[in-house]
Amino acid sequence: MHLQIRQASKAYAGIPALIDAALDLHGGEALGLVGENGAGKSTLIKLLAGLEAPDSLEVRLNGARVTIPDSAAARRLGLRFIHQELAIVPALNVAENLFLNNPLPRIGGAFVNRAALYKLAREAMRRLGIDHIDLRQRASLLSPGDAMLVKIASAFIGADDQQQLIYIMDEPTAALNQAEAELLYAVIDRLRARGCALLVVTHRLHELFRIAQRVTVMRDGMVVNTHKITETSAGELIHEMTGSSAAHLPPAADKVKSEATDDRPLLRARYLQTDALSAASFHLRAGEIVGVAGLAGAGRSQLLQALMGIDKLRAGTIELDGEALRNPAPAVCWEQGIAYLPEERRSQGLLLGGRISHNMTLPHLGRFRRWLAMIDRRAEDRRSQQLSRSVQLRATGIQQRLRELSGGNQQKVMFARAVLAKPRLVLLDEPTRGVDVGAKRDIYRLIRELAAGGAGILLVSSELDELLALCGRILIMRNRRLVGEASTAELDERALLSLMFAGLPHLPTPSSKHQGRGAQSNKINSDARFLTA
Amino acid sequence: MSQRPHLSSFLRRYGTLIGFLAIVLFFWTQRPQTFMTLPNWVNITRQMSILGVVAFTMTIVMVTGDFDLSVGAMASLVGIVAGSAFQNGGGVGQAVALALLVGVAGGALNGLLVAGVGISAFVATLGTLTVFRGLALYTSSGASIYGRVIPAEFSSFGRGAIVIGELSIPNLTLLAALALALVFVILRFTIFGRRLYAIGGNREAARFGGIRIARLRMLSFVISGLGAAAAGLMLFSRLSTAHPTQGEGLMLQAIAAVFLGMTMNEEAQPNVLGSLVGVLILGVLANGLTQMQIDTYIQQILTGVIIILAVTLSSLSQQGLRAPEWLRRLLPERGEAA
Repeated sequence: MHLQIRQASKAYAGIPALIDAALDLHGGEALGLVGENGAGKSTLIKLLAGLEAPDSLEVRLNGARVTIPDSAAARRLGLRFIHQELAIVPALNVAENLFLNNPLPRIGGAFVNRAALYKLAREAMRRLGIDHIDLRQRASLLSPGDAMLVKIASAFIGADDQQQLIYIMDEPTAALNQAEAELLYAVIDRLRARGCALLVVTHRLHELFRIAQRVTVMRDGMVVNTHKITETSAGELIHEMTGSSAAHLPPAADKVKSEATDDRPLLRARYLQTDALSAASFHLRAGEIVGVAGLAGAGRSQLLQALMGIDKLRAGTIELDGEALRNPAPAVCWEQGIAYLPEERRSQGLLLGGRISHNMTLPHLGRFRRWLAMIDRRAEDRRSQQLSRSVQLRATGIQQRLRELSGGNQQKVMFARAVLAKPRLVLLDEPTRGVDVGAKRDIYRLIRELAAGGAGILLVSSELDELLALCGRILIMRNRRLVGEASTAELDERALLSLMFAGLPHLPTPSSKHQGRGAQSNKINSDARFLTA
Repeated sequence: MSQRPHLSSFLRRYGTLIGFLAIVLFFWTQRPQTFMTLPNWVNITRQMSILGVVAFTMTIVMVTGDFDLSVGAMASLVGIVAGSAFQNGGGVGQAVALALLVGVAGGALNGLLVAGVGISAFVATLGTLTVFRGLALYTSSGASIYGRVIPAEFSSFGRGAIVIGELSIPNLTLLAALALALVFVILRFTIFGRRLYAIGGNREAARFGGIRIARLRMLSFVISGLGAAAAGLMLFSRLSTAHPTQGEGLMLQAIAAVFLGMTMNEEAQPNVLGSLVGVLILGVLANGLTQMQIDTYIQQILTGVIIILAVTLSSLSQQGLRAPEWLRRLLPERGEAA
């Protein structure tokens, strides 16, 4: 069996996410797919699953040209997917969840054959080697690991042991512990042995060396290289994943790392604990830009949400300018001079149907109060116009509706909102995501101006070059914990990425041809001050 | 941005208004002597005034994306409360104050259930609807309150008018106009109103943007309870009778009026001027059809059909007019319109 993928391209709102990517999957082989966040891996999988319409895509199965207009077509071709998002319906039981993406066995066309349903479900679980999950249990009671195993098992429903299928898994082990992951590795080995083809996206590099025969590296929407697993090393893969994406870099002349303008700690967080974050302690000085790095799901956004009072604080204290922030809530935090730019600007930030000026002033309406309850519209308009100029907004006027602006200009409106009231602390979550190069440059300038003006800035970003260029220090997060911090003076992208992954000790030693780089990263590793193991 | 055809966006904004004018024109031609006269229009405004007050305050709740299904039952209950106050020797001032207080309390209960406890507005206000109705029936033992217990100055208010030269404006019309003006100012010019629209536009973004959502939703239900209470008193005064179910028709009509109004807004948001047109459509329909001596049951059917038609047309044009092919061919090509 041979699945050929050629010329896979896809752009979202004019911004390319996948550019002319090519892959080959062979029966009896597991291909690993690695890359940074936003390298285009998930986009590629969505095209293959028929979930997104490609801008261009050529797929050949055993030499014959095929098309994948929808997920049913992908299924007919023998493609089986384990997607990254956990699609489990909590109200259904385990067996019923296994059939969410599979045709239900029926009696007389209309009624579910429950006996057959449980029989097929049992077989699928057996194939995966799982016997500790009760099929009649409600899915809401499953642990995250078990829920992931159920989702994985759903890819094995009705697959008889002879059938040669193509399995595509997007970070299947992200929510699994070591023992659970071993179950999956064994299944992957068995599938491979009987001639199935596999594509496995993973952030855990050591796992590639356990399951994959070849590995493909993606970066900035493009396939960079493909190696036999025996002929590469973790060090080489990391190097290729980061590359030198010079296009995104802030202009070199600006590459002055921000240092604190004074020593007074602006923000001091001790042992912050929410439902999605454990024991995070750090501090931040006025005028300082501190980065937060970590893989998807490491808890970076949750750290900002804890500071903003969006997630309820279970334990820990936040001090702003030496004053304790009790029971933080978004309204209180804005009033206290904390500005927040959320990761999902469309769903969490903007009123898309609203006007530019209204979006800018939303958290600050109290400042435009007159006659007890009225809005001083003239002052509001004046301030909005001022801000539009200072963020260099491209719009027909402050009355334009947000939905009509490009992603970059929408983000500038979010920035205008953040700076309107001269904030003391600015929390930025992926401020340049989905933003074109020109707007990116403007945003970098704004961040620097804010810091120069004395605000403290906490910057979450998946773009490592951006973190390195803007920040003096970088906090490292893994598994919802703040595990350490590193000074960017001694850090390069490769070393930062190593810190974000489960740490270098887990990776195989670099092969001889990369010994030089390996030695360098060891030095960096020792420079990074780890708070916890 | 894809450019939508000219006609489509025109239809979206003005379709309902054009429909309203068409209805007016129709009745004018059918009843040329009586329909388009000043006394008749004054009469229409009085007939609509009670529904108007409910619809205008309901608009505030619907701006945040909620509903208040309990307004009709509240209006009934308030009549019984005021009636009971009269029966127990209370004066007009006392009865009115007590009635409005009941409205505020009922609204606060709704707000607490929806914004505090977190029950969906549909379920919570359906529950309180039933409670309010039960309270009204229980308090009154299912009987109407009327006759001499009701002070003359109370019942004369509902039939009275202020005369300015040739024109006599009914008191109830003036009250509705006052409610309209208040809601208009609240939604258009106050910080409170702006925040309500933010909640309705994107609840999560509003919360992340520092809006105290629970508090404001709660307040909007209180206003709607107050509006329902005022409407209940107006109804009581006009009929000189308090019956424990007399306000029931108000809820569906008020929501329908707000929906009709939403069809007139570019962003499909509830807006009080739109609600006014919605109320006018319902009022003119009732008035005109009655003049044409059409059965009230048939009137209901026609009213329902017109509401569905208006909302359907508007949602079609909102989807960039995914209307039938024959209709699309009549529209200018994309881009031309720009």
